[in-house]
Amino acid sequence: MQRRAINLFFLIAAAGLVLATKEGFFDQYILTVFMFMGINIIFATSLNLVNGYMGEFSCGHAGFMCVGAYVGSLLSVAFFSSSKLFGDPLFPPELAPVLFPLVLLLASLAAAMFGLIVALPSFHTRDDYLAIITIAANYIIISIVENIDAIGGPRGFSGMKRVINSMTDVADLPWMLIWVLLGAFVCITFLYRLMTSTYGKGISAVCQNEVAAEIMGVNTNKVKIIAFMVSSGLAGLSGALYAHVYGYVNAQAFNILKSTEGLVMVYLGGMGSLSGVVLAAIAFTLMVESLRFIIPAVNDLLHAGGLLPAAFELSQIWKWVIIPLILILLMQFRPEGLLGNKELTHVFPRLKRWVSFK
Amino acid sequence: MLSVTNLKAAYGKIEALHGISFHVERGEIVTLIGSNGAGKSTTLKALMRLKPPESPIVTDGDILFNGESILNTEAHNVVGKLRMTLVPEGRQIFGNLTVLENLTLASWSNPGDSRRDLDHVCGIFPRLAERMKQRSDTLSGGEQQMLAVGRALMSKCSELLLDEPTMGLAALLMYEMFRTLKKLNEEGLTIVVVEQNARLALNMADRGYVLDTGEIVAEGTGADLLRSPEIKAAYLGGA
Repeated sequence: MQRRAINLFFLIAAAGLVLATKEGFFDQYILTVFMFMGINIIFATSLNLVNGYMGEFSCGHAGFMCVGAYVGSLLSVAFFSSSKLFGDPLFPPELAPVLFPLVLLLASLAAAMFGLIVALPSFHTRDDYLAIITIAANYIIISIVENIDAIGGPRGFSGMKRVINSMTDVADLPWMLIWVLLGAFVCITFLYRLMTSTYGKGISAVCQNEVAAEIMGVNTNKVKIIAFMVSSGLAGLSGALYAHVYGYVNAQAFNILKSTEGLVMVYLGGMGSLSGVVLAAIAFTLMVESLRFIIPAVNDLLHAGGLLPAAFELSQIWKWVIIPLILILLMQFRPEGLLGNKELTHVFPRLKRWVSFK
Repeated sequence: MLSVTNLKAAYGKIEALHGISFHVERGEIVTLIGSNGAGKSTTLKALMRLKPPESPIVTDGDILFNGESILNTEAHNVVGKLRMTLVPEGRQIFGNLTVLENLTLASWSNPGDSRRDLDHVCGIFPRLAERMKQRSDTLSGGEQQMLAVGRALMSKCSELLLDEPTMGLAALLMYEMFRTLKKLNEEGLTIVVVEQNARLALNMADRGYVLDTGEIVAEGTGADLLRSPEIKAAYLGGA
């Protein structure tokens, strides 16, 4: 029972957060940061399944997020709001708070199916080839979306705000925060259950030594494809949530830079460490958001000190120097990530009383 | 129970086995000997139906298990359904897992009563029982080999293929390993062993096949092959 304490703790923390938000304790910006944390947790832990637990190298994870984001957005607009594209809503908008999980589920399934399409041909190859194929898949998905004019093409797609509004009309709650918290909880629980199951042991075996896994009776092809589908399905979930938090979705938000963010979080946390990647996702979100303030501050400071030419301004683009730089430094000095393949309970054994990761 | 007829196998365009035929009966110990590159390991990989690129593609001939062709069977089914498994060359244990984790992972194909199998393996290799919680890459070479064999036994196989089980072992451990294999065989395990130490292998085996550059050049009982002057000259270091 005590080991379930983590669930109870999460529940209380989540309820507290929702309540505090409802009472207007946080401004919209802080709230958005919280939600991005949750989304990043889903995105990073799902990538960790392939890159960490299974030891393959997927580089185009954001592509599946894109599929989830678009499918989720299209479905929720078609279901719950009247639009030029779909006409009248399929369901009465009052049902939005009840049926929204269905939208998330369908978005995840769509992304998982896309994962299957990528996995089937690519898992006959290994290592570097998989990395190349997944990058290609990422670009293919973006190109497809950008060239379908009906869903906005390069202009992007919006209308999800109306769906959120109709949820708020039913009950005045921070709905997106609730969905993100629920999504993160489901994602972490699911991955934990998966990795402690027989299938999870098969995934570890494939990671360690494929031939040895095979001679122990593990169907390596099946295990790899299922892991990849689960991983891309969860990425789709994070995408659907992301689209609804913004209320607007654009294919370019899911380009190779987004995939790189996922890689940074996984390698920061430690490949094959669920708790490590969760912590890394939180830390990474905080870091990226704090750069919004740090970069202008540094810019002002340097100008005041006369260290920068007047015409030269440090812009937010420097984020994309700093994030890859972190990846490089990490590979140089701590290639196994913060926690390596250990869980938090290995590093702090006292935690074992309250929570078990393995 | 296992019969190979005119088996040709190739890595890409390079043919490694040029039509070999042999058979293994239930309860036998059969050894394949030969020099490096003769095709011994290739034969075992082909029998296990492992996936390319590490293992060869069968281009001709057939492998029959209890009279049925297994050419379309995948490796995990060879283990899970036919109960035949391989102790691969170079052990290939899961280095950063403990001994216990290695063994429990190996009961993947029959998760049911792994406790009893574990006790069985510990009975055969008491050294492993002492080292259960130890990371397996910290074991000595001999212990790692025991773990590799123990792991194969965990999958409850009735037929065990071993690829150079004595590689890198001290002489004393070599004899011990072979004594253990003999004991397992007496308990009913059918064994096919590929071995560089031809004298040791032929002494233990019921029958042996000598491979040379992808072809079987001699066969007979262990004792016969040990006496044959050609075999003596080529593989047993002269007189």
